[in-house]
Amino acid sequence: MTDDKDVLRDVWFGRIPTCFTLYQDEITEREAEPYYLLLPRVSYLTLVTDKVKKHFQKVMRQEDISEIWFEYEGTPLKWHYPIGLLFDLLASSSALPWNITVHFKSFPEKDLLHCPSKDAVEAHFMSCVKEADALKHKSQVINEMQKKDHKQLWMGLQNDRFDQFWAINRKLMEYPAEENGFRYIPFRIYQTTTERPFIQKLFRPVAADGQLHTLGDLLREVCPSALAPEDNPTPKRQGLDVQACAQKV
Amino acid sequence: MEENEFFGEKTFQRYCAEFIKHSQQIGDGWEWRTSKEALELPLDDFEVTESTATNEVIKYEYHVLYSCSYQVPVLYFRASFLDGRPLALKDIWEGVHECYKTRLLQGPWDTISQQEHPILGQPFFVLHPCKTNEFMTPVLKNSRKINRNVNYITSWLSLVGPVVGLHLPLSYAGAASQDE
Repeated sequence: MTDDKDVLRDVWFGRIPTCFTLYQDEITEREAEPYYLLLPRVSYLTLVTDKVKKHFQKVMRQEDISEIWFEYEGTPLKWHYPIGLLFDLLASSSALPWNITVHFKSFPEKDLLHCPSKDAVEAHFMSCVKEADALKHKSQVINEMQKKDHKQLWMGLQNDRFDQFWAINRKLMEYPAEENGFRYIPFRIYQTTTERPFIQKLFRPVAADGQLHTLGDLLREVCPSALAPEDNPTPKRQGLDVQACAQKV
Repeated sequence: MEENEFFGEKTFQRYCAEFIKHSQQIGDGWEWRTSKEALELPLDDFEVTESTATNEVIKYEYHVLYSCSYQVPVLYFRASFLDGRPLALKDIWEGVHECYKTRLLQGPWDTISQQEHPILGQPFFVLHPCKTNEFMTPVLKNSRKINRNVNYITSWLSLVGPVVGLHLPLSYAGAASQDE
């Protein structure tokens, strides 16, 4: 993994310049100015928008404030998707900054999960890590870790600490020398053109003949429409057009 | 090291088919649905109405999906009042019987949480699947010992269902041992 360190850092430190505007029908005591923020691609909306919330709540009365939620061009934003994914899926072809609308009422129960606290984000994040390890290592690595390691992984993400995060994550990215890779690759493919939220299937990193599979092989097998040149945009991973083999963390 | 009782998707489909057959016989309301885009995650759906202590009628909807990550079935459910208002996690939690609460509170991942339904993309409540294998293994081992045929879905659902208000009629047990 050491020669990939630059890529890992680029992915971790990726940012999206965003402009938050209060929804026009929210009741305010005086005018609310938009709020600008650089959002980390690898994090989650409800984890990094405390300042946004405070900024708008300053001009609102307590009784007009319930659970915050975000929307882009009429689409409620799923806070449990990584920020970079939301942007690539919905706004990558628009000009920067990314314009997000902030709401404090009429929570869309049918579309969005509730996020009562940062603990909910932590539970969701750890659940994803756990499922990924079930695919990579039959959950052996994650289950052998102590609670404090799980905590360090989460705190690394929450506090934007690359080294703290990767001190633990590197163990989740290792595989025994005799194998050529993980048991299965943990991946999800998101498209706006489909009804189901994502494609997720079992996919081995190594073929029966011992050849390493590439991202192209994966796409050909699970989502061939993504490779049709005419009407489909190129697959993106964290905003970068994908050319070679990549693994989801 | 004993082999865990994982099972593949084809086996899941077969047990579901047998389960649905009995459901149809007794009018229990389970349906088999496949997603148009892929036959990967079929689901069943069951609606039941239940009254709570406050005399409000609540409609529950249960879906059984197959998790290829954990290679076990997973129970998704949601509940709403008749006017369409969804129940919140704390309302669901209040409906869980005391005897199950201690177990559920033990681990943050052994609990009920709100998650996105992987086919419908809508919020559902889920019983986390990572410990399913742990409690199903002894069940399956014991039935092998007494040479009894077991429908994994029936056994599993009879174990996890009651935690979230889903009770299977006893006739499912009889049906399971008649199959094959």
